Amino acid sequence: MASAIAAATAPPTGAQHSVLLLRRANDYLAATLRARYRVLSFYDSGAPLPAFLAASAALEPEPPRAALVVGGGAIRLDTAFLDAAPYLRCVVTTAAGLDHVDLAECARRGVLVAGAGEVFSTDVADHAVGLLIDVLRNVSAADRYVRRGLWPVQGDYPLGSKLAGKRVGIIGLGSIGSSIAKRLKAFGCVIQYHSRRPKDGVSFGYFHDMISLATESDALIVVCALNDQTRHIVNKEVLGALGKDGVVVNIARGGNIDEAELISALREGKIAGAGLDVFEKEPVVPAEFFSMDNVVLTAHEAVFTTESGSDLCDLMIGNLEAFFDGRALLTPVLPK
Amino acid sequence: MESLGVLLLHPMNAYLEQELDRRFRLIRLWDSPPDARADFLRSNAAAIRAVVGNAGYNADSALIDALPALEIVASFSVGIDRVDLAKCRERGIRVTNTPDVLTDDVADLAVGLAIAALRKIPQADRYVRAGLWKAKGDYTLTTRFSGKRVAILGLGRIGLAVAKRAEAFDCSISYHSRSQKPFPNYRFFTNVVDLAANCDVLIVACSLNAETHHIVSREVIHALGPEGVLINIGRGAHVDEPELVSALFEKRLGAAGLDVFEHEPFPPEQLIGLDNVVLVPHVGSDTEETCKAMADLVLQNLEAHALNKPLLTPFSGKRVGIIGLGRIGLAIATRVEAFDCPVNYYQRTKKEYPNYTYYPSVVELAANSDVLVVACPLNEQTRHIVNREVIDALGPKGVLINIGRGPHVDEPELVSALVEGRLGGAGLDVFEDEPNVPEALFTLDNVVLVPHVGSGTHETRQAMADLVLGNLEAHVLKKPLLTPVV
Repeated sequence: MASAIAAATAPPTGAQHSVLLLRRANDYLAATLRARYRVLSFYDSGAPLPAFLAASAALEPEPPRAALVVGGGAIRLDTAFLDAAPYLRCVVTTAAGLDHVDLAECARRGVLVAGAGEVFSTDVADHAVGLLIDVLRNVSAADRYVRRGLWPVQGDYPLGSKLAGKRVGIIGLGSIGSSIAKRLKAFGCVIQYHSRRPKDGVSFGYFHDMISLATESDALIVVCALNDQTRHIVNKEVLGALGKDGVVVNIARGGNIDEAELISALREGKIAGAGLDVFEKEPVVPAEFFSMDNVVLTAHEAVFTTESGSDLCDLMIGNLEAFFDGRALLTPVLPK
Repeated sequence: MESLGVLLLHPMNAYLEQELDRRFRLIRLWDSPPDARADFLRSNAAAIRAVVGNAGYNADSALIDALPALEIVASFSVGIDRVDLAKCRERGIRVTNTPDVLTDDVADLAVGLAIAALRKIPQADRYVRAGLWKAKGDYTLTTRFSGKRVAILGLGRIGLAVAKRAEAFDCSISYHSRSQKPFPNYRFFTNVVDLAANCDVLIVACSLNAETHHIVSREVIHALGPEGVLINIGRGAHVDEPELVSALFEKRLGAAGLDVFEHEPFPPEQLIGLDNVVLVPHVGSDTEETCKAMADLVLQNLEAHALNKPLLTPFSGKRVGIIGLGRIGLAIATRVEAFDCPVNYYQRTKKEYPNYTYYPSVVELAANSDVLVVACPLNEQTRHIVNREVIDALGPKGVLINIGRGPHVDEPELVSALVEGRLGGAGLDVFEDEPNVPEALFTLDNVVLVPHVGSGTHETRQAMADLVLGNLEAHVLKKPLLTPVV
């Protein structure tokens, strides 16, 4: 076991700090990390997680104080993890969401947490707008139509729906939600939102609850974090209130929408369409969606551009350096 | 009123067809089998006074020749490249199109296609539907749309709407058009190849005519390069399609998003298998809301024609821009409307004139007009209201008409613009230092000069004299003045 761990780490050079790497790293990230730190890679070790963490504790001259972890459910930074790695003082997460980190536990133990800041906001916002236009104007469906040779045979594609004047309800007006709002305003959309509390200095219409937001919206865009309060925040009642001409775009987490209810609402024509980048059990996507022409499906990729990859890498290194230098984190989630 | 006989060239919109049938005498061209078309047209020719066409099917030379009674072509489209304009002009046939109502939708689609092409949304959708996310893992990395350098070919209504949207994504904007426009934040290129070389995304948004046919040539595609993206929401013929196809196939061009093709409804076969292109079937203006608005414009234009009222969206005449829509300005508007000139105007406060297009500045008015007419009063704000910037915006094909006051125009600037050919021509009734007229104008072939004769008819001078006398008498007799200014 120890040898497997050792094999997965770079040889020590001088006073390099050690870092736990709890994600599959691409070449650029791996190379950048290895140039600066002694990297203990979980996936390369092939060991089960508890064993890996226990073995890391024995590392000379000091155990890894910082860990790089990705979201998406693969590894959860929960009580069990933190118990197995008490030497960890800083967690740097690369995901846009934080539902894989038990923030309360980290706070209790004084473990610092660095997030992805606003690195992803731009690309996620672009993707959300792309999905909304696609759903309303049938871009992907029309592309299929053309490639199947149906244009000369069946004639003009059925009409879509205009963006200008549409009331777009944004669920969660953080950095990403605000970026989406800025973009959609240029298309003549009316922006309104729901969040836990109204935001200061924001002129968009605020709705205290989801039903009234959905009733007064033509489109809903889910941009909120996933937690106990927001699980299934878009549920059967909300879909019903949105209505048969309404569309939903989800670039947050699959768990924000009651997927089964969404499928039946689409099937029964209770809403007009959906653009989905996330699903409840990725990478499994319910086959019911595949026969729907009014749904656009992408593979949890709203963040995945070369630009954000490189921005993220810079940010993670920046946070690690700040931690090891005893400076404030660049994008702290904890301490708040 | 005898019902207007309207020939509809192709099914294009159910509501439009239904209303044409209800309000006019509708003849459907496809009621005749293709091989009997000539006879069909001959037997209906006497009745057909109007034609309704669209982007794909319109009044070409042959059709116009077959319809001796044709008076108006009302196109269900903004682009009228398939209407034989020269022949229409020759025959005195009026032409209308559907500008403005579809601007937003087409601009939305242009940006939607750009995001789709860069972020590969339809391709990812295919990937998910084929079960490949589960089988093969994450889809490929793509490239960010925000912040890309966006270049627009043609900065008209649609081009401007595209620019406004792209700006919300922090894209920098550059453009090429026949003349520079008054948008200092947008970088102007006189050369399309240079434009392409200096951008990441090139969007075609100009009208199709002899000069813009294949404007996206092999050279331009080469300048765009293997990271570049072409978005075409104009006409298929804007692009050298075989060159485009091989460039995409060989990855000499990064990606494309195409709404239009040279031979619709047949996009090139080789594109169908490519992963670096998004293809949609000419849906730029295809929303319920917009198609209804377009149909209503067609119907209203036809009704206006039948009732001898001004057309709502005439294409046929020169665009006349009027500075100041007071009594004189409005009288000018009414007259030029009768020539099917679209009327634009600027004045301090915008009023509601449904058929006239308001511009918030004189420079923008000049940039969007062929003939600019000065018809406002002279005061501190309007002195030199026609300055160098305005003259440049009017451009080498533009014409200035001044029936206001000499000082409305920066005369030295006007003279040098005319001498150097930076302004197309002028008709001048007034001058800064009458009766002295700049001598440089005398030898020019592109100006008409008259010596402040605007009101110089016997009848009007008589009426003016009577007003002067009447005002003086009223004053003497302590009665209300007839035409007080102060």
